[in-house]
This record gives sequence, structure tokens and C-alpha cells, in this order.
Amino acid sequence: MKKIWLIAKTTYRHRVRSGSFLMLTFGIPLLMVIAGAIPFFLLRPSDESPDLGYVDQTGALAQVESVTTEDGISLSMTQFPDREAAQAAYQRDAIQGYLVVPAGYLEGENVTYYAKNEPDDSIEIALEIFLRKAVAPDQPDWVYARLEDPASLTYVASESGEQVSEGIGLVLRFAAPAIMGILFGLAVMFTSTQMGSTVVREKEQRAMEMVITALEPFELVAGKVVGVVLLSFTQLFIWGAGAFIGIYLAVSGQFDLLGLSIPWETIGWGLLLTIPGYFLFAVIAAGLGVIAGDKQGAQQLAGFLGFAGLFPLWFVGLIISDPNGLLAVGLTLFPLTAPIFALFRMTLIEVPLWQLLAAEGLLIGSLVVGVWFVARIFRAAMLIYGKSLNLVQIWNALRQAG
Amino acid sequence: MDNSGTALQVAGISKTYASVRAVRDISFEVGYGEIFGLLGPNGAGKTTTIRMILDIIRPDSGRVEILGGPMNQNKKSRIGYLPEERGLYEDMTLIDTLVYLGQLKGLSRKTAVERAEAYLRTVELWEAHDRKIEALSRGMTQKAQFVAAVMHDPDLIIIDEPFSGLDPINTRVIKQLLYSMRERGAAIIMSTHQMHQVEEMCERILLIDRGQRVLYGKLDEIRTEFAGNAVEIELRGDPGQIPGVERIISRNGGYRMMLAEETRPDQLLKSLVERPDLTVERFERVHMALDEIFVKVVGRAIETEAQPV
Repeated sequence: MKKIWLIAKTTYRHRVRSGSFLMLTFGIPLLMVIAGAIPFFLLRPSDESPDLGYVDQTGALAQVESVTTEDGISLSMTQFPDREAAQAAYQRDAIQGYLVVPAGYLEGENVTYYAKNEPDDSIEIALEIFLRKAVAPDQPDWVYARLEDPASLTYVASESGEQVSEGIGLVLRFAAPAIMGILFGLAVMFTSTQMGSTVVREKEQRAMEMVITALEPFELVAGKVVGVVLLSFTQLFIWGAGAFIGIYLAVSGQFDLLGLSIPWETIGWGLLLTIPGYFLFAVIAAGLGVIAGDKQGAQQLAGFLGFAGLFPLWFVGLIISDPNGLLAVGLTLFPLTAPIFALFRMTLIEVPLWQLLAAEGLLIGSLVVGVWFVARIFRAAMLIYGKSLNLVQIWNALRQAG
Repeated sequence: MDNSGTALQVAGISKTYASVRAVRDISFEVGYGEIFGLLGPNGAGKTTTIRMILDIIRPDSGRVEILGGPMNQNKKSRIGYLPEERGLYEDMTLIDTLVYLGQLKGLSRKTAVERAEAYLRTVELWEAHDRKIEALSRGMTQKAQFVAAVMHDPDLIIIDEPFSGLDPINTRVIKQLLYSMRERGAAIIMSTHQMHQVEEMCERILLIDRGQRVLYGKLDEIRTEFAGNAVEIELRGDPGQIPGVERIISRNGGYRMMLAEETRPDQLLKSLVERPDLTVERFERVHMALDEIFVKVVGRAIETEAQPV
């Protein structure tokens, strides 16, 4: 165990400092943060005149002199008798834009906003508040507040009794498994590449023969797998944090992200299935790295494995059309597809507990067999430099006494 | 460590790859405190034999007893191995590589750091300790790999071509280290094609050819056996005809005398010393040079290109 941890630590420390890892790991979240920050900064109040104008062509609106949004942004509203007067004030920079409320507005006709720039969220909100007040004046503030968001629905799932609130909470309920599934696929892709190249590197640098006289092939394989898995977790954590900050910046003020109700049960089962599933893919990637003779071969095999990790996402439609069908149940039990299929089915139905437990058991069993298999072929492959193992060699390696 | 006894006992091991019999029924022993030469032309089966000793590959038949019994996990920490396939982690620093390999061999991190520093100073590589392996010269890498093989003070050391790529000064440094390890009782198996090094360092040898044992035993005895019944003498005076000597060849200011089968060298020496007209200045039993024996036994030049086993 000590040696496994030593190999894992050395592999991790060595790879985490490499230029390619740092670029990939920090470059992507940086882009996410920048992408999130752009709208954040674009939506900041401009330094233009805070005044807005309006032209009431209905003749039925009440006069409103100013509006204040929930964010505390206050805008004064100047009424103009006609569009020409409003346009003249706009050209003098007395107002930053003006709203024309057409004669048919109360019958459903659209209003028109004239300005240099498209109105940002705060202007849009201010104009909506203005219209509510102008159409129905002299109402207490709670009436306007209620009209702003007249109904927040809570859905109750008829089978489980689970309550989900409308809005992003509902989106999250269905998106969480999909996000986990996609993250799983990405992690598999990344790990496959890293794992294959790590094993091939061990072979290519020809240190294997020296190292292997100090430990068992199993220990070397296990150490490499743990090291690369930790590396992937580091990368996913940084990406996840980057994505969270980016999303938070992009939607801040619109949703209370921190107050969301999290679908813990789904996430719990998701973790129970994706973690051994992920290790299983990592072990298979190590095995493919062992079989591959060189870096190029390892990358090709890793690409294939990465595709295998993501390919269940292509069959989500099958689950939606028949979530309790034989195929859906079968793919939930099959170790390589279990994590993603179980997660997606959980968004649609209550997956029977026996299926989840069976999937978990099969995953762990496959993981044990996978490690055994890879350790066996590793012994045969480690001394064959620059060549890939053929099927006969693999078969002989598996038959040889441990 | 108990300096007496057998560190390694190999009994009748064989290995076949597909249709090629790489090693056939090889047996030998190596004692503690001994430098043992494992010789053979390229492709003879030396590496396969070493890999079977180290449990990297399993023999089809036969038995290996190492450090008092079959190989196990604990014994791996008591073995040092410098393989024919050279390689270290090129993008790691020298000190990190050695500390990592030392820890894999059971040293604590602190001890591994101390030993790595001490050995690097001994082989004059300390100045390069924080350089990446890829930045080291061939000779430096060779020394680094040697250090990696022995820094945990193993009881059994197996080294394949330890002097390749080294200049005479560094060769001497490595040789001195090997002697000191022998002195502390380590069993050392050295595989090399540098026959003069074997003659200088090894007490006993095993010569393998085409997977089979062709010579095994004390080096002196083997060299004497191959030289035949002959002595080399330097003396003042004309020896003329000497009873019991079949032929006298004059060479390098001295004489090589081929003795009759029944004549012993000590009898000849006695008769020469007793002759008043002669003064014996040097008397030496003839040993055949090891590379001559090698070529004679193997039947082909040792420079033949290798076919890896």
C-alpha cells in the first residue's frame, strides 16, 4: 500500500507541474470566467444620463416621474408630448433614450424604445415597472411586487412525493444527472489520455525493468491509476470551480444560486456509480496503455475509450421513450454504461433499488477483474519495448501463473 | 550480514519463447562476498537468466533460491539491479529520481535523500543533482543508474555492463564501489563483455552460449586448464634442453615452456633453481587470456551483433 501511494504521489506531483497540464487546467476555467464576466461587466449601469423619456400616444396612462428597481437603480421619467420633442431631447443628451407607447398599446400593440444602445437588464426592468405604474396608478407597492412575479409554483412528484420549486431549482433537478453524466464522460476522456500516456512513458523511458524489481506489477498499475485519477480530480475541481464562478457572475442577481435545493439523492447515487465507473475506465485505459507499444498507439486507443465513455449519451432518447424497457435496464446493469444510464433514468422514474445495487456490485466486481487483468498483461508487456502486445501474447500472459 | 554461504542458487532453469529455447538447464551458485562473472555472447540467454533470477519472468522449469529461499516481496528490497536496458525518468531531476527509486526499495525518504547525496558525491555527480536526467551526459546517466541500483545497500547486486560509457577514471570509481560492496559481504553478479574487467574482478564465472552452460568455475582454474601445461619463465643463462619440457618458445625476453604431460611446474622450477648456470627471475604458470577462451569456446567473435533474447 505504501508503494502504491508513493507511485501515485510521484506520478501526481510530476504531472501536475507539467506545462501541458497547467495550460489545459487553468486555460479552460479562465476562459469560462472571462465568458461569464463579459455580460457581468456589460450589464453594469452605464455612465449615461439616468433620465428616460416617454411619449404616451394612448392618452390613458398616468404620469410617472421616476422608477426605482429592486437593485436600487433610480431613473427619472420625463414625458414628452410627441416623438419629435423626445427625439430633440435625446439629441441634446438630456435623456439616454425614450419609450413610445402607441395608441393601441392597451389592445396589445408593442411599445418602442429609441436609444443608442440596446437596453440592458436594468433599463428593461425599469421600463416594465414604469408601465405597470402608468397603467394602474396609485396602488400600494406590494401590488406591484406581486404583479412582477405573480406565481412561484412548486411541483410535487406524484410517485416519490418529492417537492421541486419552479425555476432554476426545477432545471437543476433534471440537469444535475445530465451535468454529472457529461462530467463523467469528460473525466473519462481526460483520464484515458493521461493514463495511456503515463503507462507508455513508463515503458518508453525504459525504467520499468529497474522499478519492477522493487514491487509487484499490480502495485505499479494501481499507483499509476490512483495518481492519474487524482490528477483528473484536480483538473475537474478547477474546471468546476471556474464554471461555477463563471455561471455565478453571468447570472448573479437573477437567481439565488446558493439557496437552491440540491437533489442530494440523485447526486449521492451518481457518486456511488460514477466513482467506481470512473476507476474502471481508468484501469481499462491503463490496460490499453500497456498493450499499446508507443505514445501514438496509446493515444488512438485512449481516443476510442474516451468515445466509449461518452457514447451512452447518444442513446438517451431510448431511455426517455422507454425508461423501464429491457434495453434501459440492461444498460443500467452493464458496468461501462451503468453510471450514465442510471443517472438519466433517475430523472424520469424511480429506478428500483435492486437495479442500483446490482449495478454498483457489477461495477466493483468489474473493477477488481480489470485490475487483475491489467496486472497480468503488464508483466508480459513491460519488457517489450516499442511494440504492442498481440492477442496471443495477451492470452499467454493471462494463462501464466501469477 | 553472514559473509559465508550461498546468496543465489540456480538449479536447472529453462525458458522457451515460442519455438526458441532461450535458456536450457542452467545451474550455478553465487556466494556472499563474491564478484561472479556471468558471460556469454549477445543473445546467449544472459538477460533471460537474470530476469528469471529476479522473478521478472518465470522459468518453465527449474528452481531459483535467492537470499536463502524463493523470491518474495521483502527480498526485492535486498536486491540491486542495473539492467541492460538503461533508462531513468528523463523529465525528473536526478535527485528526485534517486530518492523515488530508493523509497521504492524500502528506504525512508530521509534515508533515501542522505544516501542519494552521499553516493552522488562519491561518483562526483552532486553538482548535477538538480538537473533533469535528460540533461545528463551518457556517462553521467550511467553513473546515476548505478547509484540507483546500489543506494539501498543490497545483499545481492546484479549489474549488466556496469562500465559501458565510462571513462577510465569513472570506471575506477565504480570498481572501487563494487569492491567495497564485496567487502561488506554483498554477492555481486556482473555481466559484461569487457573480459579484462572480469579477469581483474571476478573469482568465478559462468559462460553461457546458446542458452547452455559451457564453462563454470574458478576463473584461475579455467584459464589454466585452457592454457595447457605451460609456464612462462624469465632467467639469466641459456636453458638449453630441459628434461620434461617438450618445447621452448622464446618470447618478450623470456621463455614459454610447454611441459610434458607428466611434468609438474614445481618439478621444473626445482630443476631450474638447482642448475648453477641459471638464475630464475620470474616463474609463472601460463593462464590463457579470458577473451581467447571466450572466442575459443563460443566459436565466434564476441563482436557479433546482438539478437535480443
